[in-house]
Amino acid sequence: MSVAKIFDAVMEYDEEEVAELVSAELANGTDIQVILGDGLVSALDDIGEKFSAGTLFVPEMLMAAEAVQAGLDLLRPLLAETGVKPIGTVVLGTVKGDLHDIGKNLVGMLLEGAGFRVIDLGTDVDAEQFISSAQENEADIIALSGLLTTSMPEMQKAVASLQDANQTRNLNVKVMVGGPPVHQEFAMKIGADAYGMDAPAAVEQARSFVTA
Amino acid sequence: MTWTSRDRVLAAINHEEADRVPIDLGGTGASTIVIDAYDRLKTFLGLEHETAIRSKLNHLAEPDPMIMNRLGVDTRAINAGGYDGAVGWVDDLTFIDHFGVTFKGTTGTDDKHFLYKDGPLCGGKLTIDRIDAMEWPDPDNPGIVRGIKEKVAGYKAEGDYCLVLNVPDQVIHRAYAVRGMVDFLKDFYRAPEAACYLMDKLADYNIRASQNMIEAAGAENVDVIFFGEDLGTQDGCMFDPDETYGKLIKPRHERIIQTLKSETGGKSLFHCCGSAYLFIPHLIDIGVDILNPVQVTAKNMDPDLLKDEFGDKMAFWGGINTQEILPYQSVEAVKAETERCIDIFGKRGGYILNAVHNIQFEVPPENIVAMFDTGKNHRY
Repeated sequence: MSVAKIFDAVMEYDEEEVAELVSAELANGTDIQVILGDGLVSALDDIGEKFSAGTLFVPEMLMAAEAVQAGLDLLRPLLAETGVKPIGTVVLGTVKGDLHDIGKNLVGMLLEGAGFRVIDLGTDVDAEQFISSAQENEADIIALSGLLTTSMPEMQKAVASLQDANQTRNLNVKVMVGGPPVHQEFAMKIGADAYGMDAPAAVEQARSFVTA
Repeated sequence: MTWTSRDRVLAAINHEEADRVPIDLGGTGASTIVIDAYDRLKTFLGLEHETAIRSKLNHLAEPDPMIMNRLGVDTRAINAGGYDGAVGWVDDLTFIDHFGVTFKGTTGTDDKHFLYKDGPLCGGKLTIDRIDAMEWPDPDNPGIVRGIKEKVAGYKAEGDYCLVLNVPDQVIHRAYAVRGMVDFLKDFYRAPEAACYLMDKLADYNIRASQNMIEAAGAENVDVIFFGEDLGTQDGCMFDPDETYGKLIKPRHERIIQTLKSETGGKSLFHCCGSAYLFIPHLIDIGVDILNPVQVTAKNMDPDLLKDEFGDKMAFWGGINTQEILPYQSVEAVKAETERCIDIFGKRGGYILNAVHNIQFEVPPENIVAMFDTGKNHRY
């Protein structure tokens, strides 16, 4: 089966090859879900596992995510046409006072690869922006990122505002946190619903929220 | 014998025990203190004076000798004087440096941070032609050496400190700034030849600018050469340690370190945030003598592990937990952690006391004093 070739092309970080193979599969009438699931998503999961295990690193993850993106670009309009909905919507951003974004970007790329709709608000984002975007986009999850230790109190504030909004503004959004200074204990202490230890773990958490 | 500050630091680097653990604050651009924390510290100590700014962009103070003497600091920094003719501050939140890189700041929080947002090689494909066509800063710019000679003479008149030459720029981090971090990381695959060419030119710039600084300072006055960049993340490595680092980046680092060591006789202090563990053998291989900031909360950065595995070849500079203990725990916890680090890292020398990276915005002055006083009162 040549969907396996798509998987291989992602593993070789060859975005042009991925685009060609995806087009060829579409022309052959292969099911879009098969191309997506067995080709792109499974390759990205495999890359994510290797990243978490420490055998692949940030440049490789970026290259693989870009190769998957080349395939997704071709599939996305067709998925929309056939009425296939994203598995969930995530509002993502780096919290107020912090401009670091590479970790957040990796999370965003992997979430998209896994079939989520991702609204990336960028860096230096305040709590209200997260909440209003979640409201507008009917998001399932808000994902907060930060590298600085000063981002931890900012996350705490944002989580508190969100919990408040869940009560008072008729929202039903899960919140997850991640970034170098953050850990499980902190995430629980501030009342977040989950902690993403790294980008692949964040995707796992997000998946568990929408399939639960 | 009476130990001078310089003797004390050099003994530690040579894996010997002096009278006490040596102490650094402000010796490097990654071991100083954020302005707000410094202002609270000087009030706490009752040593009021106008705060000198080391870096407005990084919001860092230049500690006053009064404060350094109170805390028992054994180091002094030799920094580049600046750069004449750079654009500089456009407004309060926008800075353009001598490489033409635009930095943008945050608003709305007390703690200000700036990060590069645009550079001359951002976007498109990285090519050697583009790198050559870029307007490069001049390592012979007179601003770089301004004030160095006088500053070194001042240090020498005050006492016998360990003087740390701060190499004025970086290689990978500078490449991130001029090219964009994500694109430069992908360039290792998309355009490796051009990426290496860019790193070579950046190494050339750093070597030449440092040589000018060494000439101004006097080569015999350079005890330690501070250079480095972040290779680790909290949980692992930024790059493949043996492939991307070992084959592409390491040769550029080696050239900088070997050239400047051989021209001064100084020791190499290498800065690498995050989990440096898998890079340490490579760093030892290129002549690094001391690792900073020793981010003990990152993966495989436990003090016992590092000392056991590398303690005979590598000294450690930093190490006091800045992500959990210094900002958020008690004076007692800070004392206990400082004692633990001195006991482990400082066995048979090999340790210079400082926080993991610059003391951050929210660290209370009591904790800063507790850390340094634990070191100052320590006796081997």
